[in-house]
Amino acid sequence: MEENITATADEQAVEAVVPVATEETLPPKKKRKPINQQKLQDNLWGWTFCVPLLFGTILFVYVALVMALLLSFTNYSSFAGNVWDYLGKMFGGNDAVFKFDGQYDPLHWYRLVFTNETYSTAVTQEEHVAINEMGAYLFNTVFYMIGIPIGMILSMFFAVCMSRDIKGGNVFRVLYYIPCVASTISIVYTFRIMFSTAGVFNQMFGSQTPWIQLPDTGALRWGDGDPFWRQGLINKLVIIIMSVWKGLGGTIILYVAGLSGVNAATKEAAQIDGANGWTIFWKVTMPDLYPTIFYNIVTSVIGGMQIYAEPELFFATTTSGGPNVCTSGYVSLIWWYGIKGGGSGAGRASQGAAYGMVLAVIIFFMTLFQFWLDSRKKD
Amino acid sequence: MENNEMQNAVVAQPTFEEQAHQYSSFRYAVGAVLAFFGFSSKTHRASKKRQKLVGDIFTYIILLFGTFLMVYPFWWMLAGSFADTSMGSQALLESMIWWPTNSTFDAGFTKGEFYYNYEELFVRGFETSVYAKGFSYWRALGNNLIYSIVPVVVGVITSASAAFSFAKIQWIGRNKVFFFLLAAIMVPGPSIMTAQYAMYSSFGMLNALVLIVPGLFGSIMTAFFIRQFLFGLPTSIIEAAKIDGAGYFRIFCGFILPLAMPAIMAQGLLSFMGCWNNYMGSFIFIPNNSEWINLPHAMYIMDTGYKNNQGPVIAASVICVLPVIILFACFQKLIIGSLMLTGSKE
Repeated sequence: MEENITATADEQAVEAVVPVATEETLPPKKKRKPINQQKLQDNLWGWTFCVPLLFGTILFVYVALVMALLLSFTNYSSFAGNVWDYLGKMFGGNDAVFKFDGQYDPLHWYRLVFTNETYSTAVTQEEHVAINEMGAYLFNTVFYMIGIPIGMILSMFFAVCMSRDIKGGNVFRVLYYIPCVASTISIVYTFRIMFSTAGVFNQMFGSQTPWIQLPDTGALRWGDGDPFWRQGLINKLVIIIMSVWKGLGGTIILYVAGLSGVNAATKEAAQIDGANGWTIFWKVTMPDLYPTIFYNIVTSVIGGMQIYAEPELFFATTTSGGPNVCTSGYVSLIWWYGIKGGGSGAGRASQGAAYGMVLAVIIFFMTLFQFWLDSRKKD
Repeated sequence: MENNEMQNAVVAQPTFEEQAHQYSSFRYAVGAVLAFFGFSSKTHRASKKRQKLVGDIFTYIILLFGTFLMVYPFWWMLAGSFADTSMGSQALLESMIWWPTNSTFDAGFTKGEFYYNYEELFVRGFETSVYAKGFSYWRALGNNLIYSIVPVVVGVITSASAAFSFAKIQWIGRNKVFFFLLAAIMVPGPSIMTAQYAMYSSFGMLNALVLIVPGLFGSIMTAFFIRQFLFGLPTSIIEAAKIDGAGYFRIFCGFILPLAMPAIMAQGLLSFMGCWNNYMGSFIFIPNNSEWINLPHAMYIMDTGYKNNQGPVIAASVICVLPVIILFACFQKLIIGSLMLTGSKE
């Protein structure tokens, strides 16, 4: 299938070049030659200029996407041999690639992805509780999205403050953006100590909250009496606090830009009509800001579904080095099974690809749902 | 007649001061205090100027508090990198608020100079780790510079060329190709991670190349933003250049690159920061024992050997964050301006 895509692109290229190329080879008997020459130049250079980007996108995104889709039906593992040869085998009518334990079963990984269960790390074997693995990790991922509305309200508040005509508003904008440019891992290693049980945060509030179970106590446990969803809620809060803190500056800049675009004349008219600040904000400013807010929500949800590094770096991994069922996001499953092979060292690319396809479908439908809500609002 | 009535009406209405006498003296005093702080009430009306002043003061307090929250962790990071944690005293860093009680600046510190943690990081940071023999943080720093300069410089130029072709040249299939590229943004990176891993592995690219080669082809978002910028440039410049006999390549190098330099610079700086902080790319695709790991990945590996001596790890954080912050401070106008433009476009 990936050949198809490149083929269509090639066809388009041929279409674009061939007619003008023949014109070029024609003897110069037509008078309209300067125009044709111009068109030839347009097409030639137009394609030439975008060929690098097009090539990179096709190879590293589209071909990889098609490859992931194909691999998710096979039992390609441990990255053994050349993946192109493997895909060739698949199209060569060799259905051994779809066989799992001698059975023809292309949907093997998808079934596993949806039904695979993980066990609690309770002390005794009898107390072990099973839980759907994908569900658990999706729960964590969605839980982290609580940060999105909090961040939006906070950044709106700060953006409104910065848009007053005060001196030095620009300075604040720059200062608030600093966390956005800093590297996640540095921030995590700093916050990890600041949020430790004896850390700055707990000192400030005089509490003993175990925000982060320290590495020497091992991975977070669950199954010690409490239901899964209540385990590690406090630990997840640290991630939310950190991501809100880190993402605030970028959103503020978008809102400040949006607020400066709000129609000043309408605002003034509302003021003369006796509307107070609150009314003006809700009735005049907010409708004008709506496109910015919508863009922001869509991008944050897409980004939020792909959370990976923060929980992985914050909390100790399980003893086998895998993701933590109480805190890790969905993407860590792709990494753990696809690249690390679930601790076996032989990455199961096919299983990872199946997880990835499910994620892609989830993100696609979430985005679609948001656009549907948006269109409904306009009616 | 009408005049008279109107005068009567005006007289009949009690003035502000007269009205004020209806209230108790306590209420009157409260009103005066409120008005002083910019709040109008029934007894006193605060002046516009006073309202603005009080509002500004409140705004400053809120914004300064927010600034403190934003900047404090960085101060903490800097102070922590001078903590003397070599005795395995994790509690020292945990209890630190402004400055460590045992810092490397203290007179009692005899192990070395005040930059002891940085020395430890650069000289001995990877001695204890089982990974990458002969590896040092200098190497990671150099790797990171390569990873964030080479692909960004080349990639921004390829993106700009694509943007030029989309914005200013008419060619067959242009819109189709553009939407074909835009649709690629919808594909989530992690979804195709394993396929990419298999592909890079088949190309023999699971080393430095994996963080360099894909970047060379440019990025769609960069091309998109530069295209938006190029739409604002007058096409007449290009027409004039064409009449003077310049080819498209000449136009691109001589006109478009210099004219779009603000947009190109801003996008380049943003991608530089993205590449500098790219933890996931290195962590997924480059093996831990490779000497081609980048800076965040090296920090992660070093951290495993310094669980009870976090001073050097915090020093590593400072080294990782500092160049980006300095770069941002130098070019903040350009970067923020570009981001604002993005915000107002959407």
